[in-house]
Amino acid sequence: MRQEDLIVSIKRAVTDGRREEVLAATRSVLAEGMSPREVIEAALVPAIDEVGRMYVAEELFLPEMMESAETFQAAMEVLQPLIEAGGGAVACVGTVVLGTVRGDIHSIGKDILALLLRTAGFSVHDLGVDVAPFDFVSKAQAVGADIIACSALLTTTLTAQRDVVEVLADEGRREDYKVMVGGGATSREWADSIGADGWAATAYGAVEMARRLSAAAGYVAD
Amino acid sequence: MQLAELFARADDGPLMPQDQFVMRRLVPALRSSIKDLDITWDKNTFVNSDDGLADRVFEAALRLLETVGVYCPNSDRVMEFSAAEIAAAVAGCPEMVEFGEGAERQTLRARRPDSTARPWVHVGGGMNVSDETVYLRTVEGMASIVAADSIAAPSLPLVEGKPARAGSPQEIMAAVRAVALTRDGLRRAGRPGLPVLNAISTVAASSTMFAATHPEFGMRPSDGYLIDFLAEMIAGYESLQRVAYFTTLGAPIASVATPMYGGYAGGAEGVAVLATAYMVAGRLLFRSCYHFNAPLHSRLLVVTAKPMLWANSLANQAITRNMPMSIFNTAYLAGGSGTRTSHLETAAYLLAVVSSGGHVYTGHAGSAAQVDSLLPIDHEFQAEIGLAAAGVSRAEANRMVAVLYPLYESHLASPEPGRTYDEVYDRSTGRLTAKDLEVIREDVRDELVTVGVRLTKTL
Repeated sequence: MRQEDLIVSIKRAVTDGRREEVLAATRSVLAEGMSPREVIEAALVPAIDEVGRMYVAEELFLPEMMESAETFQAAMEVLQPLIEAGGGAVACVGTVVLGTVRGDIHSIGKDILALLLRTAGFSVHDLGVDVAPFDFVSKAQAVGADIIACSALLTTTLTAQRDVVEVLADEGRREDYKVMVGGGATSREWADSIGADGWAATAYGAVEMARRLSAAAGYVAD
Repeated sequence: MQLAELFARADDGPLMPQDQFVMRRLVPALRSSIKDLDITWDKNTFVNSDDGLADRVFEAALRLLETVGVYCPNSDRVMEFSAAEIAAAVAGCPEMVEFGEGAERQTLRARRPDSTARPWVHVGGGMNVSDETVYLRTVEGMASIVAADSIAAPSLPLVEGKPARAGSPQEIMAAVRAVALTRDGLRRAGRPGLPVLNAISTVAASSTMFAATHPEFGMRPSDGYLIDFLAEMIAGYESLQRVAYFTTLGAPIASVATPMYGGYAGGAEGVAVLATAYMVAGRLLFRSCYHFNAPLHSRLLVVTAKPMLWANSLANQAITRNMPMSIFNTAYLAGGSGTRTSHLETAAYLLAVVSSGGHVYTGHAGSAAQVDSLLPIDHEFQAEIGLAAAGVSRAEANRMVAVLYPLYESHLASPEPGRTYDEVYDRSTGRLTAKDLEVIREDVRDELVTVGVRLTKTL
């Protein structure tokens, strides 16, 4: 199969969420002499962008997007070691630690955001639900995060978002991370009142906010 | 099934991680049930009239529940149910439930699609209010709506001006205070026995809920008590604790579920099947005798987008054609309180869900929600629209919604901001001060009459 056909196969495998096909086509196109970075730029990134477009257009939904993201990741696991072996690194928009705050066990909004961030090129560390404020901060330190994102659906759990900001301030690390808050109980006014750096009404808005905050944090993708 | 046996399923069922339950068990089963039973949304349709499709959605929901079960995140186990157990739960659903006390005691009866029977009118919402005066005035105003058969009490998330955290002692104080204020507001409206059907809407901890339901504070076994599912098909110990407590009280239980369009439910077809499955699961697992059917668009945070109108009303039809459950459809609107958009959305939504066998639950803003945004003038008009929707056939509703939808569609993604109580009422008297809201309401009334909604002019 020609390189052009293999690129088309990779793209289709990602949009359809077919893991085995993407692995086979990726290995074939590498054998044809295409560089790992070229595979990412010519096939994987356009494919995952297309998945994002289809999600916004309601042509596919969260399960399909998760399957596409897993397929994308499977191909990256083949390509990334090759790039690193050559002394390079894979571009990353930024690193986000996210979770639903203490006392709140709602996960679906947070799950959607995690996936949208991953497909947008962020490295995401999802801490799950009912996350203690200190756990957000310690994970952010451990992974060198740019952004801490805290979700809260319930009004009675909002204050746990403020706790994250407060822990950062108390530890003298407030300037080390951008803090985003969101979820059904939140508002722009609330975010401003606790000194958060960003707020968005929806997961889609949160991705744009993360891009802006990541850029403001001075993150430079290589 | 005995309660003890029911709860034991959460401790004895198959062990699996939550993500595996969702992606390896729920999602494939939902996809195959949709495919096998040929459930397809004709995107030109707002309100389904095909009884065969409604019945297939019901069958798909039963199949889904039997195949998938319900996940308990506290034990990481799946509560599984046999077809016979599911069928017994469906057969045991009561057609009637008594609510309220004294002059306000009434019977909630299950409706059917295309029914001319008067729907129950449930007004208000569990939205946040900022202080006790607004809380009291809001309850009084809602209870004064003549058509109201019950109210949803607001939420008071503050104690002495400070936020009450989930599970904290302040949460108990706030919940107890809210219950007492609710009963006080009902007395001030001259309707002390009016039932509260959302007890207690925004409480996170079961311990808080149990404390606040002590009869000394004003809650009664003749009120209605909510138990939530988590998205999707998840119910933890907090929910099961409430089942144990409320069944002991002998109080009517409502199950609540919000399947997310665009989330694990997928598109409109998945939402319709999942919403239907939740109603059966609510009866089976929570012993519910009525249900708040509240699927939500994950991006727009509304129920009034086109796929939601179709999916929500179809789920109503699937249930009410096949079991005698009373359904309220929670209306999250794009438009803020007092806006033309919110009235048009309400009309479209109530026409869709009431003609499909649902009762009337007045709405409030979703993405444009703000504190103190429950306005009795809105809910009074919405109640009137809901009553006018009774007797409208599904086919008529589809035609009317097709006319109304383009009038608000462009506002779904960029909602009109609404007004707050103090911007609209004099809090010292409870009197309306923003007379322009009456003008907006009457303009919309004229538009709805033109479409065919059977409203009468009041001004």
